[in-house]
Amino acid sequence: MTGEAPLFRMENVSKSFGAVQALQDVTIDVNENEVVGLVGDNGAGKSTLIKALTGVYPLDSGNIYHRGRLLRIRSPKDARDLGIETLYQDLALIPLLSVSRNFYLGRELVHSIGPMKFNKKREMDANVSRALMDIGIRMRSPDEEVEILSGGERQSVAIARAIHFGAKLLILDEPTAALSIKESQRVLEYVLEARERGLAIVFITHNIYHVYSVATRFVVLEHGKKVFECRKDEITPEAIIEMVKSGYNVL
Amino acid sequence: MTNKDLASTRKNQEGANAPPPENRSTNLQIWLHRHPELAAVFGWVVMLVVFAFIAPTLFNVDSLGNVITVVAEMGIVAIGITPLMICGEIDLSVGAVLGTSAMLFAVTIKSGLPPVLSFVLAVAFGGILGAFNGIITIRTRIPSFIATLGTMMIWRGLLVGFTGGFPVYEERNIRFFDMLNGLVIHQFRASTLWLFALAIIIHTVLVRTPFGTAIFATGGNKTAAMMLGIRTNRVKLIAFVFVGLTAALAGTIQFARFHSVDPLRGQGLELEVIAAAVIGGTLFTGGAGTVLGTLFGTLLVGMVRSGLAHAGAPAYWYETFVGVILILAVVLNTKLKETVLR
Repeated sequence: MTGEAPLFRMENVSKSFGAVQALQDVTIDVNENEVVGLVGDNGAGKSTLIKALTGVYPLDSGNIYHRGRLLRIRSPKDARDLGIETLYQDLALIPLLSVSRNFYLGRELVHSIGPMKFNKKREMDANVSRALMDIGIRMRSPDEEVEILSGGERQSVAIARAIHFGAKLLILDEPTAALSIKESQRVLEYVLEARERGLAIVFITHNIYHVYSVATRFVVLEHGKKVFECRKDEITPEAIIEMVKSGYNVL
Repeated sequence: MTNKDLASTRKNQEGANAPPPENRSTNLQIWLHRHPELAAVFGWVVMLVVFAFIAPTLFNVDSLGNVITVVAEMGIVAIGITPLMICGEIDLSVGAVLGTSAMLFAVTIKSGLPPVLSFVLAVAFGGILGAFNGIITIRTRIPSFIATLGTMMIWRGLLVGFTGGFPVYEERNIRFFDMLNGLVIHQFRASTLWLFALAIIIHTVLVRTPFGTAIFATGGNKTAAMMLGIRTNRVKLIAFVFVGLTAALAGTIQFARFHSVDPLRGQGLELEVIAAAVIGGTLFTGGAGTVLGTLFGTLLVGMVRSGLAHAGAPAYWYETFVGVILILAVVLNTKLKETVLR
């Protein structure tokens, strides 16, 4: 990997909303088989960074590169087409739609008759069942509505979807918030699974212990700036928590 | 170790034969929850039984034909508004659009335009009015309830103003009218065929196409749908245009039956079709709904109207009955949902 440009790089990214400088010259690299734990207190700029990366907010300045190639990301769809999948806490799936329709939302397998496109439902259902089984998720039926799944099951389905569609970078925004301990554990296992399959992962969380068990590297944001970065084996979870709680300067 | 090995190792650790996640609801409850339109079907059956006793005259071919005639015209608009409601939006102007389009149809035919051309013009005009609703709602981000309440009053006011409040008649027998709404068998009219054609098309779009999924996604969670790359504003605009088209179609069909249109035509229709869709299981908040449900909702509303008349009840009871059914249907579906999700 040495000498090669990182899989994804955000370079000198800045973004402000009016007088508020939400991000200031942030540079972050992410590589395959890597889970970057992105931590920081509320308002540190974690969400803004992700939304800038996925085309929700335009950048004020800075660039995003994929293997050294400059990317233009203007919308969430652009990001998705480039292999950047984001799992927002409550926005990963549509509750009233079936698992199968959620899985293929916006990327359906179709056969066309003239200008009309029809779903290849049987094929999609079979693929969904297989993709879920493949990473160890069991489901009664792909026709089941997401609404009756638990929070952990939803996150798992969304992770399976990212893997299935060959995402290169998976961004998880508080994936274990509001989950039971047992469910969090399962979601973390799927995160590991995704990492083992070569995905690059950015994991945003308040729960340092959750991210610590799966992360390979940490980036700490504070007031829109990157204040600290290190490999996992160089730091303890307690030290990170202390840093987030009292500000980087005390360390 | 390859990725595949890792995956299978993890699966084995977890026990590949572990049962699926548990849910305390019974399969029946889950099934009912997934088919909220069944409340309308059930309500309709109950209504049939009740009317069989209190209004037996309802059940002859002529009376049923009359019921279906009313249901077909209302149903075309109810099916038109269903995708829009699934998108999480509403159109209160359908009655006014129906009246305006029917008037345009009447006036242009009387002025000597070929009826087919008048028809295309009137329906297209309905689509434009629908697009207008959509653009106001999307661009200004005001609720569609308000936007279309406004346009409903605007179109109705203009209609009354331009016609001076007088109806327009067309006494000639125009062959094209038979295509729109002629008698096919007995008292059963062509409008029923229009309704079925429309129902099949919309059902197919909703259930079998990516665009259908986009409609549900837009109403189910707009932000999530946008994040996943769905162009939600475009989906909504198409739904708005479509309601306008169906309202206009119903207007021309109705004119073909009556050979007349008055400036108040279609008034109150908006509430009837919304009630029909909601009774049929369409969520007022968006994200869910079926064509079958809307059909039975419309049938229920239409039968109550004729059934009460046949039972000798005064006309004003109709609204009371529909109101009771509406609330019962929604309460039933809401309770069922709470049970399943608990």
